[in-house]
Amino acid sequence: MIFLARRLAFYFAAFFLAITFNFLIPRLMPGDPSDRIIASFQGRLNESQVAAIRQSYGLEGSLWEQYLTYVGSVFRLDFGISTVQFPEPTASLLFYGATWTLVLVGLAIALAFTIGSIMGIHAAWNRGGFFDSFFTPINVMMNAFTPAIVALVLFYAFSLQLRWFPLGRAHDPNLMAAFNFQFIGSVLYHATLPVLSIFLVSFGGWHLGMRNVMINLLNDDFVILARAKGLSDNRVKYRYVARNAILPQITSLALSVGYMLGGALVTEQVFNYPGLGKFTFTAIGSRDYSFIQGQLLLLTTAVLVANLLSDIANVILDPRLRKG
Amino acid sequence: MKTIRAIALLSVGVTALAVTAPTMAQDQVILRLLPYHTDAMVENYNPNNPTGPQQRMRDFAYEPLWIDNIWHPGENEEALAVGWEIGEDLKSITYKLREGVKWSDGEDFNADDVVFSFEYAKAHPDYPMGIDVYNGETGNVVSAEKIDELTVKFNLNEPDALARYGLNGLYPLPEHVWSGVDDPKNYANLEVVATGPWTKPANFSRNGHDLCRNELSRYNDENAIDCLRFPQMNGNEQTVAALSAGDLDWLGDGLTDPDVTFLPQSEFNNYWLPAGSDVNLQLNTTKAPFDNLEFRKAMTVAIDRQTLLDISTFGLTTATKFPIGTGEMYNTWYDEAALEPYKALMEYNPEEAIAILDAAGFVDADGDGWRDNPDGSPIAFGISMPSGWTDWVNTGQTVAENLQDIGVNASLKTVDQGAWFDAVPRGDFDVYVMWTNGGPTPYNQYSPMFNPRLMVEGQIDFQAMHQMQIPEVEAALDVFKGSADEATQKAALTDIHKAVAENLPVISLFANPIWYEYSTRRFSGWVTEDDQKFRPQVHDGTRERVWHALALKPIDGAEF
Repeated sequence: MIFLARRLAFYFAAFFLAITFNFLIPRLMPGDPSDRIIASFQGRLNESQVAAIRQSYGLEGSLWEQYLTYVGSVFRLDFGISTVQFPEPTASLLFYGATWTLVLVGLAIALAFTIGSIMGIHAAWNRGGFFDSFFTPINVMMNAFTPAIVALVLFYAFSLQLRWFPLGRAHDPNLMAAFNFQFIGSVLYHATLPVLSIFLVSFGGWHLGMRNVMINLLNDDFVILARAKGLSDNRVKYRYVARNAILPQITSLALSVGYMLGGALVTEQVFNYPGLGKFTFTAIGSRDYSFIQGQLLLLTTAVLVANLLSDIANVILDPRLRKG
Repeated sequence: MKTIRAIALLSVGVTALAVTAPTMAQDQVILRLLPYHTDAMVENYNPNNPTGPQQRMRDFAYEPLWIDNIWHPGENEEALAVGWEIGEDLKSITYKLREGVKWSDGEDFNADDVVFSFEYAKAHPDYPMGIDVYNGETGNVVSAEKIDELTVKFNLNEPDALARYGLNGLYPLPEHVWSGVDDPKNYANLEVVATGPWTKPANFSRNGHDLCRNELSRYNDENAIDCLRFPQMNGNEQTVAALSAGDLDWLGDGLTDPDVTFLPQSEFNNYWLPAGSDVNLQLNTTKAPFDNLEFRKAMTVAIDRQTLLDISTFGLTTATKFPIGTGEMYNTWYDEAALEPYKALMEYNPEEAIAILDAAGFVDADGDGWRDNPDGSPIAFGISMPSGWTDWVNTGQTVAENLQDIGVNASLKTVDQGAWFDAVPRGDFDVYVMWTNGGPTPYNQYSPMFNPRLMVEGQIDFQAMHQMQIPEVEAALDVFKGSADEATQKAALTDIHKAVAENLPVISLFANPIWYEYSTRRFSGWVTEDDQKFRPQVHDGTRERVWHALALKPIDGAEF
């Protein structure tokens, strides 16, 4: 309990520091949100118009006053108005982007973690065997590719040339969102290539991590004892070794789940997938403060919550931590 | 292995499911066009919202008073107005409005709407509609008066023969709707009431929306298109693929090497890139060595413009003939004979550049291998470019290498786009590659370039970055603006051209292309190099684009 309480205090401090940086970093970039709007008129605005636009798109008051307003709005969950998509509430864009990012990156992480870990277990158990010496190097190599290359290759081959998969979007634009077979089918169909492009570059990492930890554990006394007791191979493999080996994997999983809300910029860009990464990229380019802040806040919260959950999961999975 | 097989089966199943999903039956003729890139469509149909809705609603739904036919001035330009007259003293302009025009809700369009729109624009400076209307630069319009139901007179503060170019671009709003809107900037305008050929939004989603036929439009006899479809897209990979696959018909994207990346993708893909506004080097002439005319002369002859055209900008740009900061877009305004003596300044001649620099005292005084100022201080400057603007980065690189060849220590300096924009008003730069403003006459380009008000530190305009005041240019601009007579205007313009060529406040490089790509899969009637009926862009700011859409006719047997 003390362990968790200490962690909670740490998370609160980290959160406060993070929202302060969320506020400052966008403002340290040169330019402000109204610049893009004003530049788009190519000098055809007079001074009173420029002033009026700055006032309506930009922010009023000193930096300190803006900061206080911002902290207040964070606790009221008020994300403000987007300037890229004026006057759309940032919250609705964040929600829209986050939904699709969760579908895309969530599916990819779930697949990569499951398949990668299972392959890692197999490779470690039969280390030196065919499976290990064939898949381990290949998976490490896949892990070294950048998402940009893989996404573009998949897009070019399967969307452009073979036309097996759509050119982009999260679902058929003619379908309205609904919880039915047709819509979900369309979502999965559209997600196949983007998910694959993230999966291909990430499952090798899980494979390698799982394999390394497993191999270390395989020589431990408790494993030898378990075998000596005559337990079945599968029981030793999964209940004894894998359960211990999964602990550091869970911590990394929590981190990647947290970073998930950062979006998958390159994949989203190539497949025109309406996720957070794409929105954030545009927002940074045009200094859309409220969107950048909202997105960073979402990311901060997600990373902190995921870490907290991994702490709790570790406590549950590892009895040694319970005494704190 | 079981897991892998199950996953394989699952994805095959899902794919089959999606492929068999029925597509919607469509018997309407739909034109798919992409005037701007966005990550998500927003349900907003406000014709003066510059973040996107304006790109979809102007020209197609909301009509301007007048469509300046930039390529064929004076031909077929009537829109909501059918005639105009400039007052004798050049202090007023009177528009005759079209008779019998109805708003899409059945109300009559008349002079009250135009007067209302002018007053409304004036009352809401944060809502830039008809942006030149009350702008101190071109407009100085003080009031709008209703003469009769179909006649409106705009009164000017001082004589101005060019005020109509600003007023032409006013998109009148229906008074009976907008008089009840107090905060137009935040207004989403979901019930569109307009006069154009397509005024009914339909099928809105984050992925796009349609804009369908206005049953009361006067264009319905010639209009073959039932709905315009504006899809949501972002990124060139997507747009090129969409045009090739038939998900887009009309596009205006900047493409790298379109003969390789675009044309082979589909037999229906076409593009044409007419010359647009010029691109110049802006030198900060408040600093050495750019304050020295001989140095600027050496720079202009040191640049290998053929390489800029063919290599740096991928052969997509057009050559500029004279060192006057404007190019082919305004070629009907040149006096070629008067400008002939200055042509040599546009020719690549590094020996000449070296001779000029030697004669003017720009020699290597400290022995570091680079030329120095005549007073012995070293010369080293950066040509600033936003990172990622590939063709301009290449251009900056080539210019820097050309200058290094004649012993000048110039280098390319790429910066973040925001920082690049930000440095200009403060005057914190050496050399920029810079666009020029287009407009119905060359006046629109030279006026911001030589307006001393735009050279004040803290508010330096992109066009006036050179910060060189040339009184004879300012005087000639006044003559141009103060006369409605074309011969007088041309004579004034020749004076401007000569003054620019002699002083070289900017170094002319090339003309940017007008980006225009289209698919002949479903429609015929496109503007082509052989049929240059009007400017072909799909973007807002090209009022001719409504004619282009109306000129398109479905091809027999095409699927929509």
